[in-house]
Amino acid sequence: MKIMQNSGVPIYQQIAEQFKTDILNGKMKQGEYLPSIRGLAKELRISVITTMKAYEELEKQGLVTAVQGKGYYVNAQDSEMLREQHMRKMEEFLMSAIAAARVAGITDKELLETLKVLCAAEE
Amino acid sequence: METKTVIDIKNVKKKFKGFELSIPDLQIPQGFATALIGENGAGKSTLLNILAGIRLDYKGELRFFDGTASDEEVRERIGYTASSLYFLPHWDAEAIAEAGEVLYESFSKEEFWKLCEDMAITDRKKPIKKLSDGMKMKMMLAATFARKTDLLVLDEPASPLDPLMRDKLCEMIRSYIEEGEGKKSVFFSTHNVADMESVTDYAVIMEKGTVVECGFVEELKEKYILVKGEAADAKRLKELLVGFRESAYGCEGLCLAEHLDHLAGMDVVKETPTLSQICVAVMRQYSLLKSA
Repeated sequence: MKIMQNSGVPIYQQIAEQFKTDILNGKMKQGEYLPSIRGLAKELRISVITTMKAYEELEKQGLVTAVQGKGYYVNAQDSEMLREQHMRKMEEFLMSAIAAARVAGITDKELLETLKVLCAAEE
Repeated sequence: METKTVIDIKNVKKKFKGFELSIPDLQIPQGFATALIGENGAGKSTLLNILAGIRLDYKGELRFFDGTASDEEVRERIGYTASSLYFLPHWDAEAIAEAGEVLYESFSKEEFWKLCEDMAITDRKKPIKKLSDGMKMKMMLAATFARKTDLLVLDEPASPLDPLMRDKLCEMIRSYIEEGEGKKSVFFSTHNVADMESVTDYAVIMEKGTVVECGFVEELKEKYILVKGEAADAKRLKELLVGFRESAYGCEGLCLAEHLDHLAGMDVVKETPTLSQICVAVMRQYSLLKSA
């Protein structure tokens, strides 16, 4: 896990994002426990409260469940929610593509053309 | 967030000529590292001395752990380092190891020598008075960490240490907290907020003998937002911001999250503050220090 100190993104968010990626792409499996809060803090050289906040964030998003005294385990990821999560991510990236296009005065038509070409190239 | 308390401080008071320490109600959370931050003379050491049992002439109530342990047990479970030397000046590392074994049941010589090695204390025979301030602090830390404790009270441990050793100290505190799995806690005072932020879970800010702000660092970072604005808005911002500071080019300060609405219509940028920025802004409210 790579934590950036000066990226402007809060450290707890960076940690939550990386676990989220691991959970959504199946690297972390349903029922698997996240590392202990204090153990992870030690390994990442950050405060305990930062790790806690990261885990709470994951819990809020429904990705993990807290068990008193045992830690946090990965929830079953239903495919509907998974799709929803990916959908949101895709939208986010498309929004930045649109923003970049607008800045450069590229028309929506050109943008759509580019997207089509790129999609075709990927296939 | 629900947490247990390791030190419960109720109505603790100590009067000096021209200064009074007065802490109506303060809880230090168990299983975390708590930093005590404040100006010179704010009363940090007085409070820590009371907690460490060095100063007994105070009024009020202190409760350690769950409050059931005897005084003797409590003493055995707490480790303390002072900001100045408490070993006899002619002692060397070997004498400190001997004394540690006599004074504390859980003191381990083996652990002490391992810690000395880890912290590069190589000369076992040099009298402690001949050591540098940093080395003296390392010696106190080694003697304290060589015991089995559940709470460490450290008075400015980082101050005399070099950057590398400060980093090592953070590592030692993190390992201690991890080992305890939620049972071991550290309460340390510091002026080196930036160096210690990565190991600070809870912060207590003191000014003029009392606590002016405290909370979990992540919560404080949500409570206060760092706001920077144009010089044209300085007058209005001055009313709204904590620790306000201005120059010919602009102004800045911390805005309580609940007051963010009041900034509507002003040309400002917002940022999450560091713990250091929060401390400086909060302290500036109470300080007699004049800003340049």
